[in-house]
Amino acid sequence: MNHGPGPANAENGGHFDPQQAAALLDKTTQETRRKIEPTPPWLLATRAAMVLAACSAVWLSVRGQHPYRGPTAADIPVLVAFIVINFTATVAVAKRATAGVSGRSRLRPAEIGVAALAWAAAVVVVAALAAAGVSFSLYPTTLLIIPGLAWAATMAARADWRRCATGLAVAVVGVAGVFAGPAGAWAVAGLGLCIVLLGNGAAIVRRQRG
Amino acid sequence: MADDTLDPLIHVPTRLKIVATLAALPDGDVLSFTRLQDMIGLTPGNLIIHLRRLEEAGYINSEKTRNGTAPQTTVALTTNGRKALAAYTQALRELLSGL
Repeated sequence: MNHGPGPANAENGGHFDPQQAAALLDKTTQETRRKIEPTPPWLLATRAAMVLAACSAVWLSVRGQHPYRGPTAADIPVLVAFIVINFTATVAVAKRATAGVSGRSRLRPAEIGVAALAWAAAVVVVAALAAAGVSFSLYPTTLLIIPGLAWAATMAARADWRRCATGLAVAVVGVAGVFAGPAGAWAVAGLGLCIVLLGNGAAIVRRQRG
Repeated sequence: MADDTLDPLIHVPTRLKIVATLAALPDGDVLSFTRLQDMIGLTPGNLIIHLRRLEEAGYINSEKTRNGTAPQTTVALTTNGRKALAAYTQALRELLSGL
């Protein structure tokens, strides 16, 4: 839209009519929200497709195992590649989007510490459960429960209910996997995380348009 | 049309873009001068002129900080600025509904 470069327009709004103003206000608001979004919907959709593909590939290879032995040597590079690409893309996109933005919405070091501690605690708990012979300790979804709950609690403290819901949904996927068996847990992880990511993306699109 | 009900300080395309951009930030966030300039597409001189007008009216708050060794200017909408934009948006709605 051309708002007209005339001097009257530029300084006192003489030829800047209310319809143009309303259109410019909407456009600027939506564009800004889109530009500063650290997790844009397209990235979430890509991650959703990737997690579904990676976990489905593992599920296809382990579903015939009796007894369950876990992902095969061929699956490991797929999982590692997924984690590395996911992490790198997420950090790069978030860094670019939030360049020059600072303040309350940025994660504080203490919150990053809580997230890191939650993953470490999850690994320790899963290892302890495995040592105690608990069957579901080896399920991939079990690892999601503690970080999901920790993220939900951190975001609840910020009153960020969308991200709090994401954390809870991840924890629910983790619990659901317990009932799916060792091979089925891979399918639950892929499908569950895919739905969580797509739901998150849809919520962001709605907020950007609101 | 009663365009005079619209805040003349905001009812200028460039300043409306500045205020709308800052209002779209999450509550409590500030934007660096360079990122704002990049988003609005103005020269530094032009942007400074508009920011000064908004700051004089108490609509925005700018702060100089040190980011490592380089000084950085950050800009944020004040509570008054948010109220002024809300009043402006309401006035726009009323004008457009009367069309």
